[in-house]
Amino acid sequence: MRPLRSLALTLAAGMAAVALAGCSGTSQASTVAKQIPELSPDQQVNITFESYNLAQAGVWTDTVKGLVADFEKAHPNIHVTSQAPQGGGAVGSNTVSSVQTQLLAGHAPDVAQLTFDSLDFAATQLGAQPISDLVGQKAVDDALGGAHPFHPNAKHLTDWNGKTYGIPYVFSTPVLFYNATKLAEAGVTNPDLSTWDKVEAAAKAVSAKTGKPSLDISCTSIGGNWCMQGMFKSNGAQVLSDDRKTIGFGSDAAVDTVTKLAQLTKDGVLRNADSSAQSEGLAKGDTAFILTTSALQGSFMAAATKGGWDLKAAGMPSFGDKPAVPTNSGSALFVLSQDPAKQRAGWELIKFMTSDHAYEQISTKIGYLPLRTSLTAPGGSLHDWAQKNPLLAPNLAQLDRLQPWVSYPGNSYVQIDDILGKAVENVVYYGKDPKTTMADAQKRAQDLIP
Amino acid sequence: MAFITIAPPSQPVTPDTPRAPEPSGVSGQPGLAGPPLRAGMTTADPTNAGRPRTGPAWTLKLRTVPSHVLLIALAVASIFPVYWMFVTAFRPSSGALSVNPLPGPLSLENFQYVLTTIPIAGMLANTFGMSLTLAASQLLVAILASYGFARWDFAGKKALYLLFVGSWLVPFQVTMIPNYLLISQLGLLNTITGVVLPQLCSAFAVMMLRQHLEAFPQDLLDAAQMDGRSSWRSLWEVVVPNLRPALAALGIMLFISAWNEYLWPSLIMQKSDALIQVGIRAFLGAEGNNWGAIMAASSLACLPIFLIYIFLQRYVVDAFIRSGLK
Repeated sequence: MRPLRSLALTLAAGMAAVALAGCSGTSQASTVAKQIPELSPDQQVNITFESYNLAQAGVWTDTVKGLVADFEKAHPNIHVTSQAPQGGGAVGSNTVSSVQTQLLAGHAPDVAQLTFDSLDFAATQLGAQPISDLVGQKAVDDALGGAHPFHPNAKHLTDWNGKTYGIPYVFSTPVLFYNATKLAEAGVTNPDLSTWDKVEAAAKAVSAKTGKPSLDISCTSIGGNWCMQGMFKSNGAQVLSDDRKTIGFGSDAAVDTVTKLAQLTKDGVLRNADSSAQSEGLAKGDTAFILTTSALQGSFMAAATKGGWDLKAAGMPSFGDKPAVPTNSGSALFVLSQDPAKQRAGWELIKFMTSDHAYEQISTKIGYLPLRTSLTAPGGSLHDWAQKNPLLAPNLAQLDRLQPWVSYPGNSYVQIDDILGKAVENVVYYGKDPKTTMADAQKRAQDLIP
Repeated sequence: MAFITIAPPSQPVTPDTPRAPEPSGVSGQPGLAGPPLRAGMTTADPTNAGRPRTGPAWTLKLRTVPSHVLLIALAVASIFPVYWMFVTAFRPSSGALSVNPLPGPLSLENFQYVLTTIPIAGMLANTFGMSLTLAASQLLVAILASYGFARWDFAGKKALYLLFVGSWLVPFQVTMIPNYLLISQLGLLNTITGVVLPQLCSAFAVMMLRQHLEAFPQDLLDAAQMDGRSSWRSLWEVVVPNLRPALAALGIMLFISAWNEYLWPSLIMQKSDALIQVGIRAFLGAEGNNWGAIMAASSLACLPIFLIYIFLQRYVVDAFIRSGLK
């Protein structure tokens, strides 16, 4: 192993020297010099890959394990140990704490799937490596390009401080799913649900018929902050200023946003339920609308087939004339290893897991959005699948307006998110005064910004 | 059924003392401190022969109605989640969200899915092995430690005992990360040994057993010593056989709590899906929970505990009563 590695390093040094000869600027030279060497074909490398999809049995585990097996076949010299995050908690909620614990013990996973809200923390505290430094910006751009490139708005979701720290892997956008059968029973056919006012009118009709609130919004309950950020942006508010220094929960636009949503509760159309009760509400027929992650599409489709009702989907509604700004949930793949050979092997794995082949598997088997969107265009390998899933259309269309899920700076990013979640719940569901509640949340969150 | 004692049982009754009127429907031999008598048994008492008994007996029964209603409600509230788990597990997976309180339609679909999706037989066997090892080792340490505390007086005994009690009061979350690092340095990650090692001693078990040993007759120990038994032989030949019911009860409790462990095993056994509690979690997901599968896997995970309960019911009840109803 050791002689091989030194051979590889020598080769790399030689290549770097050749590259240097062609460069004129010193800044370029230093970037190139930092790049990690390619692996020689017989250089054996073992890496660990941590993915929260592996914490879920069934298609999630099977698909990821299948892709890892395909990768090992394509790269016989790289051996991947795939693992789920450790500890308790719901799938996707403990990705950072798991890596943190392993980091303490000195064996962080070499490649990890982390949610976008932890980008800042990953780059500053978890030792996520800037991939654009490791392999060069051109290699990153090439990986994101190809015959079926990443959607332009998906490419830069993991850029931090001018560098690319991860490659977006799987994510979803907020979609308004609705039970068209229930709407028709209430006399609402082919509804236009493009604005909140129109959604409220349709929901009022259904609520009048059923006698109970008919709308759920997952963004306004704890855990839904990723899409609450989109709600704020749709109404001209920001949770964090562009210079990443000032919290904006208490701004007039933010207060106006939650006031409007609280009105939906007062009008008797918005139901107060936690996130799992929400997704089961539409499936059981308790509610008729839910704005939630597009990843739930599969379970709603199964419930609609079983319940004999018609499931339809619309994009995220807007506030009046202002365009709706959807944000993304989901995760990216990061290289955490300090070892150049493992970093290179990790990069090869990341490229493979975000390739056309991977998205074909991930989209058809799990149902996640293919980030290489042209695969769904005529002639693309996912075209047939997209045709069979018409509910995908609003989700894909929203990518054109997508803005990133903002990660808060500092070590207290989870607490900041929690403060916002509780404040929004208090205003929207429990009738607390919007202005003072949001101002208080802003002040407490601002104190946690370094 | 209500039990009524004669009140006051030891009141002396002499011929010149006017007899206090007895509580209606209840009687007994005056002046005799006898065992508690059932209300129904009073009919045999000749002094009560002419009194109507049905009325007061009914009043008595009526008086117990509220407490019975409360107990029934509590029992239903305790049993219902378990009932619901089995009902949902035996429904077809599409009926997982059904709120029909009656079972059916019957289907084994969820069990089939669980059996093909996770290696549940291996998980059950591993968890059983881990729980058994943990319970046995904790019991052994508890026997030795509590014997030491109860048998000998030595300097610092109180302080040492307080240290034991103190360790019981330290929440698991405080020691979780240091223990994890230690296990990692020992190279025991992803092994059942790694899960068991930091928990070999249970302060709770030491405390419980010490209480029992404190009450152990000193004469027996002295007699054993006079017979020429060493302290070690006294422990195994005199103390342990006499403590068998307490040990059985404690062992069962330790086994059940080890079986229900989740967080620590999921930290240590990250790379393997060897334990059942981790296996159940695999059906909880970001894209909706598979309730049917969760209930089926949980039903299977409950089976060993149910078996213990069915066969060792007396000891289990004993265990929980002794520990102050956890």
